[in-house]
Amino acid sequence: MSASDLIQEALHSLEANKGRSLLTILGIVIGIASVIAMTSLIGGIQNSLVNSLGLNAARMIQIYSSQELTDSDVQKLQKLVPQIEQIGIVDSAYTEYKTGDKSYTVMAQGVDSNMLDAVGASKLVAGRTYTDVESKAGSRVALISRGGADQLYGNEQDALGKTIKVSNGEVQIVGVIDGGSDSMGSLTLYMPRETIAGLFGDENPSFPSVTALAAEGSDMDELCKTIESKVRAMKGIEEEDEYDSVSATSMKSAIDSLNSFMGAFSLIMGAVASISLLVGGIGIMNMMLTNVTERIREIGIRRALGASRRDITAQFLAESSALCVTGGLLGVLIGYLLAWGLAMFASGSGILGELGASGQITPSFSIATVLLAFAVSVGIGVIFGFYPARRAAKLDPVECLRYQ
Amino acid sequence: MRPVIDIRNAHRIFESEAGCAHILHNVSLAVDPGEFVAITGPSGSGKSTLMNILGCLDKPTAGDYYLQGLNVAELDDDELTEVRALSIGFVFQSFNLLPRLSVIENVMLPLAYTNVPRSQREMRAVHALQAVTLPVDHWDHRISELSGGQMQRVAIARALVNDPPIILADEPTGNLDSATGALVMETFHKLQERGKTIVLITHDPGIAAEADRAVTIRDGRIHDGAYIPHAPRTLRSAVDSLPMISASANPPKGVMA
Repeated sequence: MSASDLIQEALHSLEANKGRSLLTILGIVIGIASVIAMTSLIGGIQNSLVNSLGLNAARMIQIYSSQELTDSDVQKLQKLVPQIEQIGIVDSAYTEYKTGDKSYTVMAQGVDSNMLDAVGASKLVAGRTYTDVESKAGSRVALISRGGADQLYGNEQDALGKTIKVSNGEVQIVGVIDGGSDSMGSLTLYMPRETIAGLFGDENPSFPSVTALAAEGSDMDELCKTIESKVRAMKGIEEEDEYDSVSATSMKSAIDSLNSFMGAFSLIMGAVASISLLVGGIGIMNMMLTNVTERIREIGIRRALGASRRDITAQFLAESSALCVTGGLLGVLIGYLLAWGLAMFASGSGILGELGASGQITPSFSIATVLLAFAVSVGIGVIFGFYPARRAAKLDPVECLRYQ
Repeated sequence: MRPVIDIRNAHRIFESEAGCAHILHNVSLAVDPGEFVAITGPSGSGKSTLMNILGCLDKPTAGDYYLQGLNVAELDDDELTEVRALSIGFVFQSFNLLPRLSVIENVMLPLAYTNVPRSQREMRAVHALQAVTLPVDHWDHRISELSGGQMQRVAIARALVNDPPIILADEPTGNLDSATGALVMETFHKLQERGKTIVLITHDPGIAAEADRAVTIRDGRIHDGAYIPHAPRTLRSAVDSLPMISASANPPKGVMA
């Protein structure tokens, strides 16, 4: 019997038992839908978190020294370590901004224009970034994140040219950037370091922490070790020093941790879903056994007409696979719809902002996941359909024809 | 001429927990190509068991069975399946059509098992349906929409569609009224004219009388050496079978006294 004959026969059989087939595949639908919903949602959250860290997050290194670093230390370090593409001090300060009856916590990040790319604040949505001249002059200009602009002004374009009071002065918004992790009630503003120093009256020329951007393709672990040893040498800090310490950590390790956490979460969800698939598979086996019993006479007729045991096995396997594939496809569809619904709910509720992700989540759609769901469905159909199919094939045709 | 069906000294014993049941005893029967043979006998005499062996659905416990010169005892399950598909067409008393398929789909079904290309199946099914003179407007009907006679004609068309040399019919007129039964028998005669070998099981001596020869089986034994040339031997077999039925019973319908 050809494959097309088997498919046609299987579809005929499903059509003949629509109601029962639909009830039987519910387990498969729920199993596949939960796997798809969770994996696409987790993928979406992961993408959102990585976006909020910036495009260059994986190449970013935070350097900390208990003996604070100055601008000359930073320049010296860049010369000593050629793999450092960009390096600079990132200052930060918190303040409160009130407008009408609303109050916002403002995180002001002091980043010179050459470091905007390194901190992932260079992807413009509207307006422009500030220039080198503005950085050096300490101009009262700032970039706001898209989430912040939406909260304050409703959209990105309306934010341009507006002024915000920060500490004891005002800054003018010249650009809106993508990314950031602004949830309800909090804003992130990027402005030149000189501007922060002027606004907050901080003239301190040294900082405990410095941000660097590694060149593409650098071995991040090796680079961190090199930077640590160079900073120690510059500041005269021994490795076993009890009082002073130096550390260089890359965001890559943070992203790796995030990925492994999400991977573990996916694994747990996968385990839960596989229980549902197991129950679904048992349901399929049960239905197929009932099918075999109900169609004993038909099996006898087919055997008399020239069907081999292999044909009978293939026919029942095709039916169980068709059931599971239908369940799998429905599961994929429902899973994606569920993921979109959950993503919209999570985006609207601001839960994700608290996790550090940007405001919007788009569930990740992957052809590989769909193919995997399809393969799992066929696999369940074959595994759980095999026993009933073999049982049907082993029946004695004479007994089958006698069966009433 | 070499017989197309040649069964020699066949026994069929069924073993179960309840014990052994010896259904066929030393049965021998030869059927020539193009011959129309009727097998008659009372209920439980072993007719269907013999038919199952002739149709390669079962094998004799002892003895030989040569089908078209092929020793069936030496064939494995797949080879028996192939023989059934290509050499034998079955017609059953209860039609055994698949109700969820249409008339033409039922007729095309055996072709799927002999790997006939889809493009040729419909054409062959049409020829088979034309051979049994089923009206064209019934071909797309569901089986439940047909009368008993039409159903049996569909079953005969299905048996013919692979063009097998042998047709085995188990009580083909058993569920039909006499007029419809006569039409079905006419179809069998036409098939014989086309060179088909026909073996037909029947309770009805009138139907058996239409065959080239009738063979009576009783208590698992072919009665009177298997050969019962047409009219006189049919009569004798009917008389021989009288002790099996009650004394008050009328002679079987169609038997000449």
